Amino acid sequence: MNNQRVVELTLLLLAAFITIATVAVAAVGEDVAIGWDALPYLVGLLALWAISHLALRRWAPTSNGLLFPITALLQGLGFAFMLRIDPDSASRHFAWSLAATCGFLVVLAGLRNLVLLQRAWAYIGIFGFLVLVTPAIVTTNSRQPTGSQVFDLGPVRVAPQQLGILCLVVFFAAWLTNHRFRNTAEHLGELERLDGDPSRFLPLVSGWLTTSVIIIFQFDMSLAFVTFAIFVSMWWVAVGRMVDLTIYLAAIGGSIAIALVSITELQDRFAAWIDPWSNSEFGAPITRSMFALAGGGLTGTGPGGGSADWVPGATDQFAFVPIAEELGFIGGAAVFSSYLLLVGVGLRLAIAARREFDSILAIGTTIFLGSQAWAAIAVAVRLLPPTGSSLPFVAFNGSVLVTCNLALVLLLRISETVPFVSDRTQVLPQVTPQARGGK
Amino acid sequence: MTRRLTHVGVVFLVIYGLLFFRLEMIQVLNANSLRDHSQNSREITLVFDKPRGSIRTADGEIVAQTVAVSGKQGRLRQYPYGPLYSHVAGFISAENGGSGLERTHNKFLAGEDLGVRIQDNRDLFIDRARTGQIEISVRHDVQLITRAAMTGHVGAAVVLEPVSGSVLGLWNAPHFDPNHLSSHDLTAAMTDYGVLFSDPEQPLLNRAEFQNHEMGSLFTIVTAAAAIEQELSGFVVPPLEAVTPVDDSRVITHTDGVCGGNIASLMLTGCFPGWATMGEKIGRPGLNDVSQRLGLSESSPIRLEGSPQGALQVTRLDLSASHAAIGTGLHATPLQVAHVFATVANGGSRMQPRVVERVLAHDGKVLQEFGPSVLGQSISKETAAELRELLAQNVIHGTAQDLSISGMEVGGMVASPFLAKHVWAVVIAPVTLPEVVVAVLLEHDSFDDHQTAEAHVAAITRRITEAVLRLPSSNVGGS
Repeated sequence: MNNQRVVELTLLLLAAFITIATVAVAAVGEDVAIGWDALPYLVGLLALWAISHLALRRWAPTSNGLLFPITALLQGLGFAFMLRIDPDSASRHFAWSLAATCGFLVVLAGLRNLVLLQRAWAYIGIFGFLVLVTPAIVTTNSRQPTGSQVFDLGPVRVAPQQLGILCLVVFFAAWLTNHRFRNTAEHLGELERLDGDPSRFLPLVSGWLTTSVIIIFQFDMSLAFVTFAIFVSMWWVAVGRMVDLTIYLAAIGGSIAIALVSITELQDRFAAWIDPWSNSEFGAPITRSMFALAGGGLTGTGPGGGSADWVPGATDQFAFVPIAEELGFIGGAAVFSSYLLLVGVGLRLAIAARREFDSILAIGTTIFLGSQAWAAIAVAVRLLPPTGSSLPFVAFNGSVLVTCNLALVLLLRISETVPFVSDRTQVLPQVTPQARGGK
Repeated sequence: MTRRLTHVGVVFLVIYGLLFFRLEMIQVLNANSLRDHSQNSREITLVFDKPRGSIRTADGEIVAQTVAVSGKQGRLRQYPYGPLYSHVAGFISAENGGSGLERTHNKFLAGEDLGVRIQDNRDLFIDRARTGQIEISVRHDVQLITRAAMTGHVGAAVVLEPVSGSVLGLWNAPHFDPNHLSSHDLTAAMTDYGVLFSDPEQPLLNRAEFQNHEMGSLFTIVTAAAAIEQELSGFVVPPLEAVTPVDDSRVITHTDGVCGGNIASLMLTGCFPGWATMGEKIGRPGLNDVSQRLGLSESSPIRLEGSPQGALQVTRLDLSASHAAIGTGLHATPLQVAHVFATVANGGSRMQPRVVERVLAHDGKVLQEFGPSVLGQSISKETAAELRELLAQNVIHGTAQDLSISGMEVGGMVASPFLAKHVWAVVIAPVTLPEVVVAVLLEHDSFDDHQTAEAHVAAITRRITEAVLRLPSSNVGGS
């Protein structure tokens, strides 16, 4: 059988062991209300992993074997901590996991070739744009101190922006593949700085507009960071013109400056971020998460020993806090090392991918996951102002889990086109005008 | 393209490294300072509904206890005397942390201290809840007397035992009922806390320990000490009506015409220009030296043993010597004032003020004893004796005649700082063999003039002193 799947199975067993151990240690602690009734959900989660693994054996047997176990480990940790903090939501968490796995299976089975995505790029782009801007128009819950934009649809909470961003990643990857050759630094040379097809300004302007809209209308620095990081890395890899990058960064800086000067709510959030000690409305989540982290120290309080009830948003925006508090600095570092590993695998796929579209899409998807994780952790440690994005795979924020799983499928599919990622970096054939469309 | 892909990889490595570094800062490098941060209510919130030891007074009244109740939590923190000990014992709440002893001595009450946690050999192997009981030096009767005397006023009163530094009574007005904050009805507790927190009168504030006011002429005790030390006690200030400081615009005047003389007559007449002249003679370094030794300046204000170092600024003598000598701009908390006079009463030996006497095990065995601790000899015995004599004279025929108690010789001072809306009074009783020091501060009372305000604060102080000294003597004096 395939080597990658053996690796995957081994690592999955390890992830399952860590998850079970965390749940078990938390369950024996006093004051933690994990009962035997949580067992079916735990078993169910492991069963979903088994199903996903079997589906990968069936539909993508040669895909990379590292990706799925990493995400499974993160998901398992998230589940364990969710159980420890709020045992009553186990069923909801399981329902979302089920939905995520279904999405995973459907896309894995349905999307056998990424060329399909490349062909449908326009539709995907329009869909993504609609999903992304709808919350800005129909805003609910906008004034939560930490909240990202969330819709309450009865029992179901949906945060659609992530899905929108993922669609735009696909769209943008296709667009760059189709148009990039005329504008790349290689094609024009750095000397002809301002020459080239005027269409090269299209992505720059739209990327700038999107980020600005998110900053100015949604006050969401994390989401802004995520869109910014995705856009810049995809564009830089595909086009790579120093002058354009400088202009773009200056424009983004200008938007932030203007927003900071003119919007009072943003000023409040910023003030609370710079000095959380004297601002109780916006500052409390930050100070509390800092205190909780400090309480954990190097080795942590042990699962079940932390103060997750006391930190606002401990299952969502601040999902990283209880983990780092109870597993300590070591556990926290392990968690973001997992994300770093995920980013590493993704970028190596991007390097090794055979087709240009696959390569750029791999970058976009990787950065999509990596920058979200970075932003979510950065908010918890006061590196970014407090509007949190959910920690991918860990946070119990319903639809985000589904979206992240879809992104995972894309990466797995790309990895399948790379028959063998050797330890030596493979270099893409030089991009020439004849490589148009990548087909 | 590969080269630029490497750029992206490197940038991500760098920003994740930033995260790693930042997390290490919080969790490892700065963890201790964050844990001790004054806003950190995490520890206390974690133990909110755990078993918790009681707090009892020196005369055996229970101030705080945890009782079993029906319901999800099973345990409730109760304060049988409600607001009476609101600033001594403090409170513990599910959402808003805690204050007072509940916070500072949490590790004993919650049984996190190793000495409390392991009370006998079996505790090494059996995981059971062990808590420590705390016995405080505050006495219930003294506390009741203080509250009764302070009724209707805003301010603080501290009753200190000079020999040991034990606090016998500590009362702040306004106050709050900790039972409301420790309630299991979290919404109600939050609302109550919000109301208390935003009240302009600041009922949550322990004024005696954490709020300072200008000392005014109370500071002349320090000037007198400096004068005695520099052998200027015989120095006679020529009679004068006003003094213009060298580097300060505000002229220091005396209300009742011309005054002067040696330090004794300056004290008796409350002669500000005279003190200012004396201060110039002593010089700022001399004044600063003594006030530093008495703990008034250059170091963070004295607190009860174990109290957090709060936000109060370190006081410095910045003004000219003339103004410094009469205490202009020199701020002190009521506890600090009581501490300075207790030092004088105790022959110049500074005792750390403290409220916790001992920690007891579940069976009454003493686990830890907090004895008196000496902070140092700040002024000589002789100087202290001379100062006590000055204070005694001041009560007999000086500015503090309202403080006199029949049948007992006491020493004391009354002060109403210039342009300020607060008055001070402090008493050493009896002055020959001091048993208690009482310091009272009244804030922005609606008195018409300084005379009435001084009369009021003196009356309150006298009432507390009389009543405390009349209590069964076996309990006062630590014997």
